[in-house]
Amino acid sequence: MERLTIKDIPLEEYTITPGSACQGCGPALAARLVFKALGNKVIRHGVPSCPDSVTATPRTFSVFESAGAALTGVSRALKILGRDDVMAVGFIGDGGTYDIGFQALSAAAERNENILWFCKNNEAYMNTGIQRSSATPLYAWTTTTQVGPRGRGKETPRKNLPFIIAAHHVPYVATASIAFPTDLIGKVLHAKKLKGFRYIDILCPCPTGWRFDPSRTIEVARLAVQTGMWALYEIIDGREFRLTYKPKKLKPVEEYLKIQGRFRHLTDREIEEIQRMVDENWERLLKLDEMGEFPL
Amino acid sequence: MIEIRFHGRGGQGAVTASRLIAEAVAKEGKYAQAIPMYGTERRGAPVTAYVRIDDRPVRRRDLVHEPDIVIVIDPILSKKPSVAAGIKSGGLLLLNYPKPPEEVEIGGDFMVSTVDATTIALETLGRPITNTAVLGAFSRVTGIAKLESLEEAILKRFPGEIGKRNVEALRRAYEEVHPPKPAKGPLRPGEEEPPHVTGYGVLKSVADWRVFRPVVDLEKCVSCRLCWIYCPETAISLVDEKPVIDYDKCKGCGICVHECPVKAIEFVREAV
Amino acid sequence: MTIEVMVGNKAAATAAKLSRVQVAVAFPVTPQTTIVEYLNEFITKGEMDCEFINVEGELSAQVVVQAASRVGARTFCCTSGPGCLYMHHPMHDTSSLRLPVVMAVVHRGNKGMQPDHTDLMSHIMTGWIQWYVENNQEVLDSIIMAYRVAEDMRVRIPIAVGYDGYILSYTAEPVDVPEQEEVDDFLPPYKPMPSLMPEDFDPKSPMWWRVPWEEHHKIIVNAKEVIKEVNEEFGKRFGRSYGNGLVEEYRCEDAEAVIVAMGTIASTARDAIDNLRAEGKPVGLVKLKCLVPFPYEDFQRIGSEVRAIGMIDRNVCLGVGGVGHTFIRNAIYDLEERPKVLGFHAGLAGKEVKVSDIERMAEKVLKAARGESVSPLVEWV
Repeated sequence: MERLTIKDIPLEEYTITPGSACQGCGPALAARLVFKALGNKVIRHGVPSCPDSVTATPRTFSVFESAGAALTGVSRALKILGRDDVMAVGFIGDGGTYDIGFQALSAAAERNENILWFCKNNEAYMNTGIQRSSATPLYAWTTTTQVGPRGRGKETPRKNLPFIIAAHHVPYVATASIAFPTDLIGKVLHAKKLKGFRYIDILCPCPTGWRFDPSRTIEVARLAVQTGMWALYEIIDGREFRLTYKPKKLKPVEEYLKIQGRFRHLTDREIEEIQRMVDENWERLLKLDEMGEFPL
Repeated sequence: MIEIRFHGRGGQGAVTASRLIAEAVAKEGKYAQAIPMYGTERRGAPVTAYVRIDDRPVRRRDLVHEPDIVIVIDPILSKKPSVAAGIKSGGLLLLNYPKPPEEVEIGGDFMVSTVDATTIALETLGRPITNTAVLGAFSRVTGIAKLESLEEAILKRFPGEIGKRNVEALRRAYEEVHPPKPAKGPLRPGEEEPPHVTGYGVLKSVADWRVFRPVVDLEKCVSCRLCWIYCPETAISLVDEKPVIDYDKCKGCGICVHECPVKAIEFVREAV
Repeated sequence: MTIEVMVGNKAAATAAKLSRVQVAVAFPVTPQTTIVEYLNEFITKGEMDCEFINVEGELSAQVVVQAASRVGARTFCCTSGPGCLYMHHPMHDTSSLRLPVVMAVVHRGNKGMQPDHTDLMSHIMTGWIQWYVENNQEVLDSIIMAYRVAEDMRVRIPIAVGYDGYILSYTAEPVDVPEQEEVDDFLPPYKPMPSLMPEDFDPKSPMWWRVPWEEHHKIIVNAKEVIKEVNEEFGKRFGRSYGNGLVEEYRCEDAEAVIVAMGTIASTARDAIDNLRAEGKPVGLVKLKCLVPFPYEDFQRIGSEVRAIGMIDRNVCLGVGGVGHTFIRNAIYDLEERPKVLGFHAGLAGKEVKVSDIERMAEKVLKAARGESVSPLVEWV
């Protein structure tokens, strides 16, 4: 990734605002930051999802399950038409990435299509009203993983999609957060220069679905990273691994969980269980970072 | 048949209010229909809901175009004449508005009643979710749903502490509502459609999405650019390294207020 | 001009090559598979400058051509039976976005490997123009014509060219292959509408765009005139045309009765009609090539000229009836004097349809035309 400070972030905006997203919408900010770095020599592809931010770029849309295929079509058409100056960019939610779009995504990654894929990950299907996705974390409440005598929220941890994509041996995989704009934009600027399949998974808190006040979107996004619930890293060519944010000590996950309504029901034991999971994962990531290797 | 149209903004509970009325009158042996105007509503965006109440089953499935009663649960929308569009002669316009009916600017061949539901909601619930307070005013002014039926419906939907506080909001509004007066204001609804935002795309202005507005104290500002970079709507631009807010783009989410490291941005309740 | 003995699938691949397809996509499925192999061969040998994408399934295949067509590439796609059904969801958008994708559908029924028309007919409501062809020459010619029709600015609707699996896909027969220059002359390069390039970006363009229902329907109905024009021009240039492009009447002069058939059944039916005519029996054949848009006007004219029509449907709309039968009865309803319309379900799940079967069907229709009572009015052959 490229290293920058906030003063290096381009002043140009490529979003056309105000848009129709909710107040404090994380994905709306993610779109703004990503396209600041990308510019407008782009064909942007979308599938059904919440509105985030409209960008001053040509747009294509296709059915929910098909982003990987549509981006392939865009990219290959650009190639045969000799338009290498235009990028095929997907800005796709976690439903269209982790779940219904996974087959076409994996296929496009395996073919190493010349695509930049951004997952605006808000950890559930928000457009239809907060239903769980396979990006939803353990014990989170959603309208399809409810809390009651027979339910404690989502029963399983989320799938580790960035690692799965990295296992396709693609040129670039990274995670990012809207609370860390220099890290995010640094990764986008780097990915932009590469060819082939590039994937950046951006955690974008959703005040409506995660149940917190819209003013705390950045705070929640920041705590996700500071507690290790969402680690920031990059994987190059499916081989090199690097943490891009490495605090000396992680904050307790409780700080992150307590401020969100979707985790309000958690017992101390459940919080401890999540803490253990996060600690183990962080240990693993630190080892990978130390080796500098992605073991696949 | 009595037909009601609700105006509010996503997150204030207009759709819930329409359901609560339907549930309350059903307890009183009436038939009702609560219709949310479906699109893809977003938190903060103007939304619409409808209620029909009758002594026999309600069959018609079209939307309400000539309501007997219009209820506006948002104080900023309460200033828009278009909320009164189509209201029946002799009908009622019930507004969440901090001033008495005599000071309402909207006028026509109908009655107007007001209640300061935002203040009540902030004092009882701690949040500007105004639907249950407005229902208390509705019960008092129209007598269509009894206070007890509404209480029962609220407690069923919101068990525990939240329910109790909502009932408190309901009762306070029941007491504090200004009774209806003829609507004598100078502004008429005209041809404009009632406010409703749905779907995807770019909007002209989101000024009426806000309950609070961020105000920058330039003296305190240290030009760190954080408010600028974290604004989802690009409402903040930098002029000589200082933030300038475009209030047509600001939805009032409060991220800039919350993120400012030197507390140079204050959240001020929008004047009505 | 070169005569080459080739199977139907090679005719389809050759047509794609001659049409200078730029993005081709397919997922292998019997009996379409060899089209994919032929395309791969053409591209590998350097005979065809084309991006070929080996996708992971047909749904993706359809979306790839949709997106590539939107960006500005001429696209080709091909499938069969189950793959054709798997594509259903995005096929609606390909038409709603008015993208001139051309797809070969090598028919395979929904109850096994053998051909019938239930695969493509399951897509009647997707807004695709549907042609059903009868021999390998028509496969090649129709795919070239399909690009010309689909890319016509009055149309801009995708076209599926269907031909019977096995019966044509793997059967070799002589095909007259036109010269590349002749095809280039007939088929100008494709331009997308509107441009999707960043330099042409219009911020006012709608985020989501799908042609509204009424306009969409009328565009497809009006495409009949363009299909006729293109068929006629093709005939002038290449010396071959196919009826009026929508239907072809074979020995219908002074016919008291006609049978109507689609795909390869129409081909076999030509022999049956010749035999009956030799016996002095006044029956003719109408080949129904274009099912969508349906040639109502042609059937109204034919219906006013004969006293009975017998539709041979290689399909069934379950619980409703034969698709051709239903549409023809719909077409003739407004005539003052209506002919009888008999129905035959034949050749489903690849069941063989012999010349003698068609002779018997035609004789039954002739009886009905002459006022004799026949039963049943709809028959499973």
